[in-house]
Amino acid sequence: MPDTTVSTRALVKRYRDVTAVDSLNLDVRRGEIYGFLGRNGAGKTTTIRMLLGLIRPSGGEVTVLGRRIVPGETGVFSRVGFLVETATAYPHLTVRENLDIQRRLTGSPPRSVAESIALLRLDPYADRRAGQLSLGNKQRLALARALLHSPELLVLDEPANGLDPAGIVQIRELLRSLADGRGVTVFMSSHILAEVAHLADRIGIVHDGRLIEESSRDELAAKARAFATDAYTPEEREQALLTLDLERYFLARTGDGPKGGAASTGGDS
Amino acid sequence: MFGQVLATEFMKLHRAKATWATLAVLALMPLGIALFMWIVREPGRAAQLGLLGTKASLAGLEATWPQYFYMLTLVFGVGGMLLLAFIVAYLFGREYRDATAKNMLALPVARHWFAVAKLLVAAAWWMALIVIVLVEAMAIGLAMGLPGFSAELAATGIANVLLAATISLLLAPVVAWIAVWSRGEVAPIAFSLVMLALGNLFGKTGWAEWFPYSIVPLLIGMVADPVGTLPAGSYVVLAATFAAGTGATILQLRFADNSQ
Repeated sequence: MPDTTVSTRALVKRYRDVTAVDSLNLDVRRGEIYGFLGRNGAGKTTTIRMLLGLIRPSGGEVTVLGRRIVPGETGVFSRVGFLVETATAYPHLTVRENLDIQRRLTGSPPRSVAESIALLRLDPYADRRAGQLSLGNKQRLALARALLHSPELLVLDEPANGLDPAGIVQIRELLRSLADGRGVTVFMSSHILAEVAHLADRIGIVHDGRLIEESSRDELAAKARAFATDAYTPEEREQALLTLDLERYFLARTGDGPKGGAASTGGDS
Repeated sequence: MFGQVLATEFMKLHRAKATWATLAVLALMPLGIALFMWIVREPGRAAQLGLLGTKASLAGLEATWPQYFYMLTLVFGVGGMLLLAFIVAYLFGREYRDATAKNMLALPVARHWFAVAKLLVAAAWWMALIVIVLVEAMAIGLAMGLPGFSAELAATGIANVLLAATISLLLAPVVAWIAVWSRGEVAPIAFSLVMLALGNLFGKTGWAEWFPYSIVPLLIGMVADPVGTLPAGSYVVLAATFAAGTGATILQLRFADNSQ
C-alpha cells in the first residue's frame, strides 16, 4: 500500500493566457490532514478539480490512491469523498433523498444514510428539502454526502464555508477523529489560516498557482511567531491573541467550546 | 450499476414541477384542437367568437376525425419536438443550473451511464406523456361525436403521432449535447427553436428528407402534402443524428473540463 495518497507532479493548468496552477508538486501522506492554504484565486479549487478528474491538466500528472487520474476514469472515486467549492444538492429533494442518491451511486449499504445524517447532526432536517436549508446545513449535507461511503481520502474545498463557530469546531473534531481513528487522509483547502492551523498536520501554501511553502503545523507556527515578533508591535500581537481568546470565549458561552475561566465568569447567564 | 444510475435519475424527478408542467402543456393541445372543432362545427359560433372563430375558420378545418388526427399529428409533431427539447434540456441542464454536475461526475460511475440514463428517462417521460395525451385525445374526440371514425383511421393516426414522437426522440441527443456543452438549459431550447424554423425553411427547398429537423414537418404535411411513408434516406439521417448526438454528449461528459 503506497504511503502517499495524493501526488501531483509538475501539474499545470492553463486557461488561455492565465496559468491557474503552475508546476505543482504535492505529496499527501496516508492518514494525515493536509491543509492547502492560499488566497482566493490562488489555484486551490482548480487543483482540487484536477484531483477529482473534473478538469484535465494542461501538463503534469495526478495520482490518487495509487491510481493515475485520467479523464473519465472514475473507479478510484469509490474510495474518495469530496466537497468542491460551494455545497450543492438537488434542491427539490430532501436531505435523506439526496443522501440516498449518493448511497446508490457509491454502492453503500442502506444504513449509511442514517449514519451520515447522525454523524453530521442533520436529524432535525432529514426530511427537509435541500433548497430550504441554511447555508451551514447545506454544508453539513455536502459533508454527509462526502462521508457516506466511508472513504479513505477526503478532498474538501473550504469545508468550513457557511458554518457557525460551533459547526466549525464540530467539523474540525470530526475530521481529526476520522484521521486519527480511521486513518482517513484529509486534503482540505482554505483561505483562512486559523482554520488550517487548528487542524492540519502539514500545510502547503499556494500562491499564483505555485506551492511556495510546505511545512508541518508546528514549523509554520514557529515561523509565524518569528515573523510576528519582527513585523508587529507588541500591541498588535496582543490584539491577535485577543482575537483568539474571543473565539474561545464565544464558543464556551454558546455551549460548544471548552469551559475556561473567562467563560464561566460571564455575568448575564 | 447502470440500474442504480437509472433509478437515481428517476428519483431526481420526484417533486419536480417540470413533469406536471409538460403534462399540462401537452394535455392542452387536444383540448385546443377540440375547441377549434367545436367552433367550426357550427358556422354561427365562429362569427360569435370573433377573432378565435375567424382563426378556426381560416384554418380551413372540418370537424371530422380525419381532420382531428391531422391536427393532432401537427401539434404533437411540432409542439412535441419543442416540449421534448425542454425535457432533455431540463434533465441535462439542471445539473449545471443547480451546480450538481461536479458531484455527479466525480462519482465512481462511468460517466456515459449518466448520459444514457438521462436519455432513457427522457424517452420514458416523453412516451408516457404521449400515451396519456393520446388517450385523452381519443376520449375528447369520442365525446364530441366527430364523424368519420374508423379503426383503420385511428390506427394510422396513432401510428403517425407515435412516429413523429419517435423522430423527436432521435433528435433529442443533440439537444442533450448542447445542454452539457453550454452547461445550462437556455441554449438547447434556443437551438431547438432555431432548428424548427430552419426545418420549415429547408422543407420548402425539396431537401426536407435530408435535413433532420425537416423530417417531422415533412411527415406531418407542414411543408408539403403529408408523405405516407418517409424515404429511406430520412431514416439514415435520423439514425446518424441520434448516433452523433449521443456520442458527442458522452465525449463531452467524459473528456471536457467540468469547471462549473
